[in-house]
Amino acid sequence: MTEIYDVIVVGSGITGGWAAKEFCEKGFKTLVIERGRNVEHRGPEYSDMQAPWDIQNRNLLPESFGEDARYTNIQGKGFFKGATQQFFTDDSEHPISYPEDRPVRWVRSYQLGGRSLTWGRQSLRWGPKDFEANAKDGYGIAWPIGYEDLAPWYDYVESFVGISANKDDIDVLPNGVFQKPWEMSCAERFISDNLAKAYTDRRLIIGRAANITEPTQEQKELGRGQCQARSYCQRGCTFGAYFSSLSATLPAAKRTGNLTVVTDAIVTKVNYDEKAKRASGVTVIDSNTKQERHYHARVVFLCASAFASVQILLNSKSKYFPNGIANSSGALGHYIMDHFTGVLTNAVVPGFEDRVAFGRRPIATYIPNYRHEQYEGIDFVRGYGYQATAQQRRNTGTNASSQGLGKTAKDKSRQDSVWRFITIMFGEMLPYYENRASLHPSKKDQWGIPLLHVDAEIKTNERKMIKQAAIDIQEMLEVAGCTDISIDQVPDNHHIQIGDRIHEMGGACMGSDPKTSVLNKWAQSHDVDNLFVTDGACMSSCATQNPSLTYMAITARAADYAAKLLKSGTI
Amino acid sequence: MLETKITRRVFLGTTAFVVSAPLLASLPVSESKIGLQKILEPGQFFDAKELTVLVDIAEIMIPRTDTPGASDAHVIPVLDALMLTWAGTETKQRYRAFIKQADKLARDTYDSAYQDASQAERVALITELDKRAFANKFSDLSINYRKLKEMIFHIYYTSEEANPDYMLIPGSYKGCVTRAEYKQMVDERLGRVS
Repeated sequence: MTEIYDVIVVGSGITGGWAAKEFCEKGFKTLVIERGRNVEHRGPEYSDMQAPWDIQNRNLLPESFGEDARYTNIQGKGFFKGATQQFFTDDSEHPISYPEDRPVRWVRSYQLGGRSLTWGRQSLRWGPKDFEANAKDGYGIAWPIGYEDLAPWYDYVESFVGISANKDDIDVLPNGVFQKPWEMSCAERFISDNLAKAYTDRRLIIGRAANITEPTQEQKELGRGQCQARSYCQRGCTFGAYFSSLSATLPAAKRTGNLTVVTDAIVTKVNYDEKAKRASGVTVIDSNTKQERHYHARVVFLCASAFASVQILLNSKSKYFPNGIANSSGALGHYIMDHFTGVLTNAVVPGFEDRVAFGRRPIATYIPNYRHEQYEGIDFVRGYGYQATAQQRRNTGTNASSQGLGKTAKDKSRQDSVWRFITIMFGEMLPYYENRASLHPSKKDQWGIPLLHVDAEIKTNERKMIKQAAIDIQEMLEVAGCTDISIDQVPDNHHIQIGDRIHEMGGACMGSDPKTSVLNKWAQSHDVDNLFVTDGACMSSCATQNPSLTYMAITARAADYAAKLLKSGTI
Repeated sequence: MLETKITRRVFLGTTAFVVSAPLLASLPVSESKIGLQKILEPGQFFDAKELTVLVDIAEIMIPRTDTPGASDAHVIPVLDALMLTWAGTETKQRYRAFIKQADKLARDTYDSAYQDASQAERVALITELDKRAFANKFSDLSINYRKLKEMIFHIYYTSEEANPDYMLIPGSYKGCVTRAEYKQMVDERLGRVS
């Protein structure tokens, strides 16, 4: 097969959707290659219109999953339920390799739309200090871009995505183009007000959600409607209210007439034309027939997710690139990162006994990183924030797992209880060169592709953060007026899995020096001009904020740059 | 008399429980107002006799009061279906084993099969079993019973009958309303306002 496109986009998730939209809207014939199956927006796989009694197995996962060692990577995770299981990938069919004593979690969603169907939708800009951190403390590769480079692209993607948020005027979390924010519960407002009285640097704010509250004309034209406060986002959204590739970017791309989508096609490598010194396209294996075929294009955008893009690059070996395409620096696969948590808290918010919440808000609250500036007594660099929530008043539950039967048990079930405030620390993991993804020397998957082997762990700096985060949150909860504070701190000897926060980053980091980095300031390969990597792999540090919004901004910016090069004939 | 029988013959003999509390102290016999509902046809997984026992136990656990009970919410028919689509091998064995254990408890206690025991006896038996199953969680009977109870409660509390105020589409989020305001908003949302 010798079809030729202007652009090949590998992956159809958050960044693949954006690349497709941008190139299609600029008039380029664009091929999106997705390794998973096709999923129709509002199709039968969406389970968001099912009441609890309509969901398969009453929202329980088949016990055979456990018996057959399926989905072991995500068993027990709150997002993995009967109503969402179709959107997650079984690691028994798609294994990953890691050292036995340092397991890695790689949560995947092999379908059209990828993880954009199931993401957390917390959409936070990075601040100037986040882009300056590597240069300041010397860890990792200094970012070749700053906040000012991305700011207009944040504006651009936010306008299209639809971010419901408050303009909080926080330096470390810049304001953006926002729609009406979600409101806090009375318990959250109480805590937020008390923290504001006590601190100048610590704030509890409402989360910034990619759930639209005031649909724009552009969003309406794409068939997107206002969020209905169901919080069933991970089942797919019939209203198109939360941003996903299926609800937003791919429809925008499709309406141009320039989009071709191929599903069930696993990209095994980027092909390199040694004469022209450029990528000529990609090789794929049909996931069903296992037949190999090739696609050709003038530009290749890898948007397959951090680990997957690194795997493709490493597997793209040629005479010129014996260790993987775009790897003259030898940095490919290095600096693997993820956010990490080590502190979870649960506390009672006294009062508000006569108050409850109506509806199900689709986003949590957030305490942004206040540790950029290190004070006396602090012996680590970077910092952490906290995802937090008290959006619903608790109830007493039932007697399902405790003694009690009959009318008495029934009468005391699901009665109003106290308000509880939950927090979970999100720390910035440093970019360590030795945290690395590589190809397993002998193990292969069922398509003959070498398994990705990830050997990465948090180190002393992160352990110090966990300790301080526990101290900090205890103080903040007390200051906020909470009682019955319970703090669950991960012990020093407990391995924290990379990938557990599902924010894998790095492996093909951006940098100014081709000798030490894989990509330049446009997320373009230093070595191969027509090859770009704009998913999490390109990130040179991981900050503390949820990264998807930044991936989108980087992708839109890179696509704009690549489009100019295409039009000028430079690539 | 009944207390003695349960203490010595049933729970000491069958489950190795240690008895330390008076029996039948907390549950009035009148609570479960229905008699035993004999199921005449097999389900997809359980046979008719097993279903009869399960329906009765579920109703003892969650009786009809001023709100629907387990039978109203079709808990056991749903459970029967879930045995084919959800339950693993161990669960299938445990539930079946528990039905036999319940029957043996009844025979040891009352010299009659579970389904031949009086309503008062069945209620007393399950009530006492519930108490002891959570007091000692390591016996096979306790594990079987608690797993079944969890599932019965799960099915009930995810049923339409147990969730009359459930809103598939709330439409908005309000983080601080009174109960009266909440009720009014739910009624409006569900079209219950005249």
